[in-house]
Amino acid sequence: MRPLPGFNLHRPTSLGEALELMGALKSVKPIAGGTDLLPLMRDRAITVEDIVDIRGLHELKGITVEDGTLRIGALTTLTEVLESPLVAEKASVLREAVGHIGSVQTRNQGTLAGNICNASPAADSAPALMVIGAQARVSSARGVRRVPVEELFAGPKMNSLGKDELVTEILIPELPSGSGAAFEKLGRRRGITLAVVNAAAYLAMDGKKCVDARIALGAIAATPIRLPEVEAAYKGRELTPEAIEESSRACYSLVNPVDDVRASADYRREMACVLVKRAIVKAHARAGGGQ
Amino acid sequence: MRYDRILEELLNRDDFLVVGRSVVRTDALDKVLGRAKFTADYVPRDTAVVKVVRSPHPHALIEGINIEPALELPGVQTVLIAADVPGENQIGYALPDQPFLNDVKTRFVGDPVALVVAADKGSAVEGADAVRVKYSPLPSVLDTTDALRDGAPLVHEGGNVALTTKIRKGSIEEGFSEAEVVIEDLYDTPYQDHMYMEPEAAYAIPEGSGKVTVIGGMQSPFLVREKVAHILGWDLNQVRIIQALTGGAFGGKDDMGPLVCAKAALAAVKTGKPASLIFDREESVAYSNKRFPARIKYKSGADKEGRITAIDVDITLECGAFANRAPFWLWRQTAHAAGPYEVHNASVDGRAVYTNKVFGGSFRGFGDVALHFAAESQVDRLAGELGMDPVELRLRNILKPGSRTTCDQLLDHSVGIEECLTKVAEASRWSSQKRKRNGSRVTGFGVGCAYHGISTSRSTPDWSAASLILNQDGSMTYRTGICELGQGAPIGHAKIVAEIIGAPMESIRIEVPDTDSTPNAKPTHGSRGLMLGGTAAADAAIKLRERMVRVAADMLGCPEGEVDLRDGKASKKGEPGETIRFPELAEELYNRGVSPASYGFYASPKRYFDPETGLGVNYSVYTFAASVVEVEVDTETGVCEVVKVWPAMDVGKAIDPLVIEGQIHGAVSQGIGFTIMEHLKLKDGVVLTPGFKDYVVPSALDTPEYAPTIIVEEPYQHSAFGAKGVGEPAIISVVPAITNAIYDAVGVRLNMLPATAEMLHAAMRRGAR
Repeated sequence: MRPLPGFNLHRPTSLGEALELMGALKSVKPIAGGTDLLPLMRDRAITVEDIVDIRGLHELKGITVEDGTLRIGALTTLTEVLESPLVAEKASVLREAVGHIGSVQTRNQGTLAGNICNASPAADSAPALMVIGAQARVSSARGVRRVPVEELFAGPKMNSLGKDELVTEILIPELPSGSGAAFEKLGRRRGITLAVVNAAAYLAMDGKKCVDARIALGAIAATPIRLPEVEAAYKGRELTPEAIEESSRACYSLVNPVDDVRASADYRREMACVLVKRAIVKAHARAGGGQ
Repeated sequence: MRYDRILEELLNRDDFLVVGRSVVRTDALDKVLGRAKFTADYVPRDTAVVKVVRSPHPHALIEGINIEPALELPGVQTVLIAADVPGENQIGYALPDQPFLNDVKTRFVGDPVALVVAADKGSAVEGADAVRVKYSPLPSVLDTTDALRDGAPLVHEGGNVALTTKIRKGSIEEGFSEAEVVIEDLYDTPYQDHMYMEPEAAYAIPEGSGKVTVIGGMQSPFLVREKVAHILGWDLNQVRIIQALTGGAFGGKDDMGPLVCAKAALAAVKTGKPASLIFDREESVAYSNKRFPARIKYKSGADKEGRITAIDVDITLECGAFANRAPFWLWRQTAHAAGPYEVHNASVDGRAVYTNKVFGGSFRGFGDVALHFAAESQVDRLAGELGMDPVELRLRNILKPGSRTTCDQLLDHSVGIEECLTKVAEASRWSSQKRKRNGSRVTGFGVGCAYHGISTSRSTPDWSAASLILNQDGSMTYRTGICELGQGAPIGHAKIVAEIIGAPMESIRIEVPDTDSTPNAKPTHGSRGLMLGGTAAADAAIKLRERMVRVAADMLGCPEGEVDLRDGKASKKGEPGETIRFPELAEELYNRGVSPASYGFYASPKRYFDPETGLGVNYSVYTFAASVVEVEVDTETGVCEVVKVWPAMDVGKAIDPLVIEGQIHGAVSQGIGFTIMEHLKLKDGVVLTPGFKDYVVPSALDTPEYAPTIIVEEPYQHSAFGAKGVGEPAIISVVPAITNAIYDAVGVRLNMLPATAEMLHAAMRRGAR
């Protein structure tokens, strides 16, 4: 391991000031928790001249509900997400996923927005946020836009943000009654580990009939992915155990993972099927499926 | 002297004061609060930093080394190469096959070529990058099968087989002809990294001309002294080695201590300024010694009654680039080949083979983990073939007092494996446990037994020393060369001293080992720290006690036999009224000119062996262990969870039950990691998993439930209070117990470890119950 290279540190105290800096500086990255950025810098995977420390932007802190939308500020730590009664009530699948991220220490330091912006294909919060339709509010000196979380992922450790843009909050829409979601992860031990595969599923039910389905998988491609083919197969159907088994087996040919030190491609394919099935079964039960 | 009878024969007491009781370790609070000082804590800011320049090739000739570009960098103070080594450029442990700095060829990715000494870490790294080494790559051998082929590239001149071992006992032909069932298979065990919390570290300070002090993490200060002196070409008394508290070692630092300390020492002596060498995690995992991989071909047979009639065992040990401890490791595997069972017909052959990979070395269990994985899998399979309960088959063969080991060594006492196995089967309700399925999860149970010869083998002289000083104020200073590595052996010594002298634990200060003042206790390895070191402590304490009793008897006006020492006071037995406190007693010793210091020395009974047959007395005594394990296997994912462990061990005498439990719990986690999780992946000799991210070790969440530890006490006559070592035996039996439990659950055997989820998943695909 090499020593951390030198850089200029900027500490804006307002969002406006931060966005101005992000726009003006040439080689710049924002830092919040730093749990991903600093190791990447030390390994020379990222080289930057300027770092903008956004921890002074108090307006980016906190979890609120506005018009039914759950708003999680970009400086909200993973521990705060995990412990929030609002998240537990409005987006329990996110809570479930965040509990699998890193260790207590990393969750105390790292932020939810950072987990997404780091754009790891294995980010545990990503599949959960994707299936509940979460969006990111993205700001720059040029303006503000909303981006679905899945569109923030451009490639392994590459996000789709412009150099001058900051994610300021994560927005989660209100989930209809009769819906349920679940997160599943397979690692190489029971905790503090990167996902070999992770998965999340969201189902909305009308009686026994599935009216909406969203399924996402992580650590299986260059970015976390949705499985529209499987989702389409569920819509309008009654979800019998046989139907769930059959459609989750379909994942095998829909994904194209890689071999690496964590697992072989074939094992990942097999596990994608298992985790999707388990997530669907759980989401189905939470949606009151079959009741 | 019957050291196991100190209480009855010397102390003349019915009960112990501190021995056998669980006490709070005197070093616990400092360690919990972060006050304990480890090597890096001694290094002042602005100390020069040493960085090792390493070969990027698995096998290459060195055509030239150009250090000039590095020397031109502002922060670089000097660059040292083989030609700068004033002593002998050779640091092999058992065989002279390991150059200290390479100038002819390199034999693994990471083989050291030069040392850059720089003002700070950044400059050191830049300097190391700037050294230009011209390599001419050679064909390499990356596994033992390739290494043993005719015409294979040679890692060392003289062939790729570093050494061989053998045992010939009875007649295996006869034995197999009596067998009802015969099982034969191959068992592969991988590298394992120690993953100690504190990586390798050394800080060297030149002391004027002709002396250097090195503070470092290690397991044998006197071995480090020898190696540093050897590299510098100096006498032993010109080198002072201080063992800082060491943050985990597990055998690794027995080998790495000398390598790291000698590099820091050379830098300090050459520059005339203090220098530090602290490995980062990546260096530690990629380039430091590992558990030696082994491939064991094991054939064994049993008759209808379940008696093992013969074993034929063939062991191929992978050394990696250097033999290091391979001779001792391979011998241990050879000598323990039958496992803790009496088998009259045995043929064992072993060979240690060089490859162009990171070198193997010492690690808790020292060969017995791989050996017992094979032996205990075989025993279970013999039982399966015979339709016999695996515990029952084990009991029919188990070593008892009067039995003979694989090496035909007569075990006349201190053989408690039968009791360990019986009690652990009872506690786990073995005979009524059944595999059961709950959805995709299946529960299974497995058993494993182990024995482990304590300390060094064959005819290697084995002794230990310690010293004890009664200070004027009644406090005591205890010195031992046995190292504190987290395991607590020196605390065990202090308890032995406290028991014999009657001094309160808190009045005994254990000094940091320092070769300028500490007696040579020989290494802290082979689970000998408490048994050998503690018996030397007992010898020192007995000698000092005699003088204290003599003076106290005179002061109390009673015969020496009536003096009782306890709670830091001397009194007449049965008359606790009149007491002499230790400060007063100490002062009296000094005033009367009675020596207040003593030197303890203890030598193990002689061992011997016949090199032709491999038979003889190999280890002075053995520690025995048994475990029952409950696992839960997820048949859809292959994930195996170790749910519960029932541990038992014959420790001779428990000096501190809590410390023993600590050793067992830690070892079980390490064993779980080895069996189902830890996987050092290499490609073309390059370690691909050089850190905690991808070299996955068990976390607290992977820790199983523990049944209360069953401590069996069959005392050993030649050690203080009868105690035997526990650190290594604790890891051995759990490994086959886990794989046997996996078999019980899902009907597959993974003979190649680690049995990771992916491996188990694939194996179940091929054919599960």
